[in-house]
Amino acid sequence: MAAPGARLALCVLARVRPFSSRLAERAQGIPVWPWSRPQCPLLQLGRPSCSAASRSEKTSGDGAAEQSSRYKDQPWNYLESEEYKERYGSRPVWSDYRRNHKGGIPPQKTRKTCIRGDKISGNPCPVCRDANIIVHYQNVKLLEQFVDPYSGELYDATRTGVCMKQQKQLKQAIDSARDHGLLPFQVPLVDFSGEDYSNSHDAVGCTPPCPSMAPEEPWYPWYEAKPDEHEVAKVKKIYKAFLKQ
Amino acid sequence: MAAPGMVHWVRIWSSCLKNVQRQGSGRVVCASRVSYSSSSDTGEGGFPKMQFADEKVQDILTQITGLDLQKVFRPVKEELKPPAYKLMTDAQLQEANSRAVEEARRRLKMTPVLPERKPIQDILAHDKVLAGMETAKYVFTDITFETPHRQRFVVVREPDGCLRKASWEERDRMIQVYFPKHGRKITPPPIFQEANLKNVYRQDQHEALLDLCLAQFEPDSAEYKKVHRLTYEDIEKQGKYNLLRSTRHFGGMAWHLVMSRNVDGLLVDMLQRDLVHDAVSLVSLFNLVHPQSESAEEARKLNAKGLDLLKVYAKEESQRAGYIELALQAHQRTF
Repeated sequence: MAAPGARLALCVLARVRPFSSRLAERAQGIPVWPWSRPQCPLLQLGRPSCSAASRSEKTSGDGAAEQSSRYKDQPWNYLESEEYKERYGSRPVWSDYRRNHKGGIPPQKTRKTCIRGDKISGNPCPVCRDANIIVHYQNVKLLEQFVDPYSGELYDATRTGVCMKQQKQLKQAIDSARDHGLLPFQVPLVDFSGEDYSNSHDAVGCTPPCPSMAPEEPWYPWYEAKPDEHEVAKVKKIYKAFLKQ
Repeated sequence: MAAPGMVHWVRIWSSCLKNVQRQGSGRVVCASRVSYSSSSDTGEGGFPKMQFADEKVQDILTQITGLDLQKVFRPVKEELKPPAYKLMTDAQLQEANSRAVEEARRRLKMTPVLPERKPIQDILAHDKVLAGMETAKYVFTDITFETPHRQRFVVVREPDGCLRKASWEERDRMIQVYFPKHGRKITPPPIFQEANLKNVYRQDQHEALLDLCLAQFEPDSAEYKKVHRLTYEDIEKQGKYNLLRSTRHFGGMAWHLVMSRNVDGLLVDMLQRDLVHDAVSLVSLFNLVHPQSESAEEARKLNAKGLDLLKVYAKEESQRAGYIELALQAHQRTF
């Protein structure tokens, strides 16, 4: 995994190069994309298009054949692995992420999503950039990194940098984990004083059947009445078009 | 469905039943259910059968629950605010303290322990003319604002024309739809399934789970009783009695342990924490609830009080007699 690691590192280095140097590259005939896509000199040779570069960046680097992560079935194993410790250490996954935006104040909402179909945006968010980080309700260690330990709430997307799609998935996963008892939860105080729990009212108690009626007698006298066949035939003729037969 | 030995007159005021005839003597129409504050019947041997709501029992349970203000008013995870500081004189501080104690007593009021509710299986009408007309059931709920929920009529019309009263689960669901209660969901969350309960127990979240159970279910429903029973059993197995001490659930737990005669673990825990008065009250509660047991009879014979009660209990009834005697000796050595 050294080569992809080196590639990634180079891409990270290349990301901070100014636009002017990339314009200079354009003069030499190398394609320059207006958004901050990493332009590693090693990747220039033999790279037909940027989408291929993005696809290989997203996969775990073992070739185009393996599109999904190794930890797809058990995403919580990734947080115990060596790769994770080497990449993140003991800090949360969003700690070294910085959003790219104009001006000093970041937009109040992060981008809608980092991945649209096959294309991945530049500077993807902390969850989208690592294919092995899967938001799942049983992945408790990952979910805890996005929850404030003092207030118990999910951090805002502007703080962690995740895209809105992943923020929504995180919220759903955290609610699901709380529903399954994997994350600590808070309950409002219920005041039940003054409630009467006697079940003697007829609404919830037993209502005996009417004592005056014999079991063979019908509930209403018109139950036994037979309809006049002439009238029924007349009505059927009128509504013939609407009858189901 | 008659309760044993109880015969009642019931007068039915119903507009659909035109010819109400008063029956002669001795016809059991409908036995009234056990209400929350029932008087105690005589149990075996002429001793009064103690119920959860009796004054003596409630006094003992409130005493052993304790009142730890630091635990009752501990900081909870909520939206962070900057702290507020107040300058107070001694008198004001005392008044604030007494108000805090009152508020704590209100919060520690015990959760109700009720007999399980009997299922509702009443058919009001069977209109065969309607059979096959619809493909779905219709639920009619009375949404008058002032009626108490236990007097609210909820009826279901089945596709075969049968008009029946809704079952307890259907009632709870419909009342939650029209009169939503804070903290209660329409379908119970998956946390109450047994596999997920184990996750909760692993994280020592018994108190929060019981609070959630109280918010979600009615106190006389089967699920409420089941969740509480499993939680108390887990606490007793692990010996984590201190989790519920000074909460509103401790009384219910102690009552459950006393009724199922599993008091040893709790006694040992109390003695280890030097709560000898509480241990004595617990044994006296045990003797009240099981007056026919050996320890109760010995205690009555010897007229035992205080530590002697504990010794009598340890000798006669307990499985862990050695532990209790050791703890008693350790306590007596320190004092």
